[in-house]
Amino acid sequence: MLLEVRRLAIAYGDAPAVWDATLEVDAGEVVSVIGPNGAGKSTLVNTIAGLHRARSGELRFAGLDLGAVAPHLVCRHGIALVPEGRRLFARMSVEENLDIGCYRGEARRARRETLDRVYHLFPILSERRRQAAGSLSGGQQQMAAIGRALMARPRLLLLDEPSLGLAPAVVDHMFEIIRAIHAEGVTILLVEQNVVRALEIADRAYVLEEGRVVAGGAPAVLREQTRIQEAYLGLRDGGGPS
Amino acid sequence: MPSLTLLGQSVVSGLLAGGLYALLALGLSLSWGLLRLVNLSHFALALLGAYLTYQLGHAFHLAPWLAAGLIVPAFFALGVVLHVVFARFRVTEFTSLLVTFGLAVILESLIQWFWTADYRRYETPWASASIRVGPLFVPTLELLACLTAATLAVATWAWLRFTYVGKALRAAAEDPAMAGAFGVNHRAHAFVLSGISAAYAGVAGAFIALISTLAPAQIWAWLGTVFAVVIIGGLGNPVGALLAGFLIGVSESVTMAVAAPAWAPLVSFSILIGLLVLRPERV
Amino acid sequence: MRQAIGLLAAGLILAMLPLVGLPAFYESFLYLVFHWVALATSWSLLSGYAGYFSFGHGAFFGAGMYTVATLTAGLGAPFLAALPVAAVVATLLSVGIGAVVFRVKRLRGELFGLLTLAITFVLATIVLNTRLDGGPGVYLSNVPLPRLVASPTGTFYLLALGLAVLTLAAAYTITSSRLGLGLFAIHDDEDVAEVEGVPTFAYKLVAFALSAGIAGVAGGIHAMYVSYLTVPDTFSITVPLYVVLMSVLGGARHWLGPAVGAALITASLYAFTGGQQAILGRAVVAFVLILIVLLLPEGLVPAVLRRARGRRERAADVAVSPILAAAGARTEAPATLDCRDVWRAFGGIQALRGVSLSVAPGEIVALVGPNGSGKTTLINVISGHHAADRGRVELGAATLTGRPAHEIAGLGVSRTYQIPRPFAHFSALDNVALAATFGSARCAPAEARAEARAWLEFTGLGRRAAALPHELNLHERKFLELARALAGRPRVILLDEVLSGLNPGEIASAVHLIRQIRERGVAILFVEHLMRAVLELSDRVVVLNEGEVIAAGGPREAMRAARVIEVYLGKAHVA
Repeated sequence: MLLEVRRLAIAYGDAPAVWDATLEVDAGEVVSVIGPNGAGKSTLVNTIAGLHRARSGELRFAGLDLGAVAPHLVCRHGIALVPEGRRLFARMSVEENLDIGCYRGEARRARRETLDRVYHLFPILSERRRQAAGSLSGGQQQMAAIGRALMARPRLLLLDEPSLGLAPAVVDHMFEIIRAIHAEGVTILLVEQNVVRALEIADRAYVLEEGRVVAGGAPAVLREQTRIQEAYLGLRDGGGPS
Repeated sequence: MPSLTLLGQSVVSGLLAGGLYALLALGLSLSWGLLRLVNLSHFALALLGAYLTYQLGHAFHLAPWLAAGLIVPAFFALGVVLHVVFARFRVTEFTSLLVTFGLAVILESLIQWFWTADYRRYETPWASASIRVGPLFVPTLELLACLTAATLAVATWAWLRFTYVGKALRAAAEDPAMAGAFGVNHRAHAFVLSGISAAYAGVAGAFIALISTLAPAQIWAWLGTVFAVVIIGGLGNPVGALLAGFLIGVSESVTMAVAAPAWAPLVSFSILIGLLVLRPERV
Repeated sequence: MRQAIGLLAAGLILAMLPLVGLPAFYESFLYLVFHWVALATSWSLLSGYAGYFSFGHGAFFGAGMYTVATLTAGLGAPFLAALPVAAVVATLLSVGIGAVVFRVKRLRGELFGLLTLAITFVLATIVLNTRLDGGPGVYLSNVPLPRLVASPTGTFYLLALGLAVLTLAAAYTITSSRLGLGLFAIHDDEDVAEVEGVPTFAYKLVAFALSAGIAGVAGGIHAMYVSYLTVPDTFSITVPLYVVLMSVLGGARHWLGPAVGAALITASLYAFTGGQQAILGRAVVAFVLILIVLLLPEGLVPAVLRRARGRRERAADVAVSPILAAAGARTEAPATLDCRDVWRAFGGIQALRGVSLSVAPGEIVALVGPNGSGKTTLINVISGHHAADRGRVELGAATLTGRPAHEIAGLGVSRTYQIPRPFAHFSALDNVALAATFGSARCAPAEARAEARAWLEFTGLGRRAAALPHELNLHERKFLELARALAGRPRVILLDEVLSGLNPGEIASAVHLIRQIRERGVAILFVEHLMRAVLELSDRVVVLNEGEVIAAGGPREAMRAARVIEVYLGKAHVA
């Protein structure tokens, strides 16, 4: 198992966001975490990336206890984050944003090679490499954010709601690229509100509702279950609330 | 209407004065722009550096650049210590204003204790040296200060622009958490930055000793103008501070030539007030 | 009340002293103490209470000094007549500045401090260069001083004492009035204060004007005292620095704090007299400021008071008013909230595209939609935090669009925040009382506390009335938001994800409360992601996507609408 999350509980101050999350990701997989807004998906992913500390539970990456690692050193072990809302460094240029991606250690040595790969994947970024990141369109920013994470040459890529606020055609393109990245051997943990896309691309998926993992398994199985409908639309069999 | 020569001379002295403003503004712009901490004691630190340069020259006959060689590293250490205190007490952008205010007063008292309120002048044979460019006189020491300011400004700009650490600093100023997610250790960088800011104050101080007459009250005299330079030039923008320094220096000295000298401060403050009211997003 | 009497008594006793013969040395020393008490207390009226730290108190002080100097030495006017003019000049200056600066939202905190400092320098330059001073300074030695008592120092003593007592009386009155309540709320969270009904712009202006006027009079008196004015001395860093020091030391939010700080610092500076000692004195004072800012940020007086009294359950002695029966006793008739074709964009992003919806009294309408669909933006527009680009929002016969947020609150609109934003320095009771004071209920301060107590009981927080927000857990803070929203006796309540973060038991209580609120005829619009609650509670559901309404109707029908399913789950599920 590359990533193991067991009974993780995360809170902001005393506001609990995740009560009891258990999931695992094996090397080479694409795993999706779906669930309605406010379920705690971003909190979970941000904690894995080191932006946040869990209150209790276990978080292991390649056997290493991530809870014991300083936040700025998490990426060194091979985890890169594409956060919700992109969070690019708006006043810096596209290329400078990419440079921050390979800030740490070995990634920096491979900069030229990785940069070529990123520009190959996202030609538009190459065209706008000197432009301020904040001036790009939503879709372009998303590509830049993915590119930035790729510069870190991660083993595990965390994607938090990459389709947010983007037109469907752009989202199609985005998911093609995610497939391409996966094909190169990167393990992917994808968090998405968009159920269709998330299940299409995943090897396995988990459903997160109100801070708990309530279902998990192969996409085909989950699609049939009404659990998803309940989670998102509140509709039970027969249409009444539980 | 003053003569062309007089105007030309004012522009020259304005540029030179602006260079000194920029030298003072550099450190402040860095710490405010990249650390989000307002350091009012920056001026006091610079003046302390000036007095130390004076003392080392006066009592120990140490040439100014040797004195600077001692003072600048010492100030770097001082800057680091200051940030240790800030970090320990989780000082915010606003409380930093109050704390450094107090620090400035302590430094001023320190200066007055050792050197009294009497005016001090660093006696040096180069004080009256100047280069002639056509009908204009360019005082050498001030030219040196201006060139140093320009060099440091450009060097700092280049450092921020082209090195990994520089980019890391700029990224962390915008979004420390995301920078951290990519390995930027903002905490460690902050100490270094604070040290550099204080070191720049030391450099400014050495030149102040050479160029101006020293008195403790000077701490507050520079305050308004230099803040104006920092804000007009853009927080965290070294070359901006340089250009803003020139702008303010020239507009002040031209005002002095055309109208009464005492009107000069009005120019920089009016620009500052205008900027704060009309374009507060810049800060 | 006891404090007010105590103040007057102290004032009278002190006023007697010159008459019984106090040595001139003490008269001089006490003059300075009273002088600084007036300056520091007046500074804290805006800067301490509302948090707008001004580094420009010296400008008003200097304006007062030079007004008196010009009128008496230059124009031969009598000294006592010149003092009110000094007050007026300083007040006008502050109103001019405030009218411009307080409208600019970003000029808070340290920017306001820098701006006021810059203004002081500008004023100093103007005074230096015009006939007001011109350079050589102004002599007042030929101006006759009216003799209130035999000695000149005694006269100054009495004048300063009078000003100090007046200033303290003003400070005391303000802190127990609506103005003070509003200023303290502005300090903690200006945007929320505005939305709760506090007229923030007006209150800041009043506090600033009052503070400047007093500083002007203090300056006027001081002009005669020093009898020789120069620009560098008048507009030096001393006044701005010391008033901050004294107030922060003594406690800037307490009416007596700055006075205590002023007395302590003046005394310590006097203790270090002459030459080297004076320098040491300043350094020690500055060091103490640093220690206080870092370790005891609230100041001496509040810290001492807290130790001495423990925390009084002040809420205990307030009677609970029977509100359940008296529904609508003080409010206007229930009304329908009507949004018509509301548009709002931020930068290049169109957040709301022609949204129309309405909520009738006693109706619960749920507003749902994916992330970024514009739900919170709509709430912000209705409550007045943002203006609408196009479209109208009406409540009954009144139009809400175009009005400042505090007026909208006054018309009966309340909201809660997804992440609770209580006023951090206010107890739970005071948080709710503020809404009762400034909301459409418009209670007097004493009534407001009774109202507040009742609403806290209603939401189950009766026992926690004296607690500070940071001592409450999330569930309690959410219910505090609810109580605060209700205390304004609103006709419409906008709830923004009030259930997020609560456990099932807490959710059940919240749902129960919301139903009870509905029974009182309030129109309720709530944003929620928790679908179970939406289906259970709401009469109607409005679904937003990318700023547009894509479905509206009964909960089951709306959620089953094809478009809605497509937006949430994708086309595959629609079939």
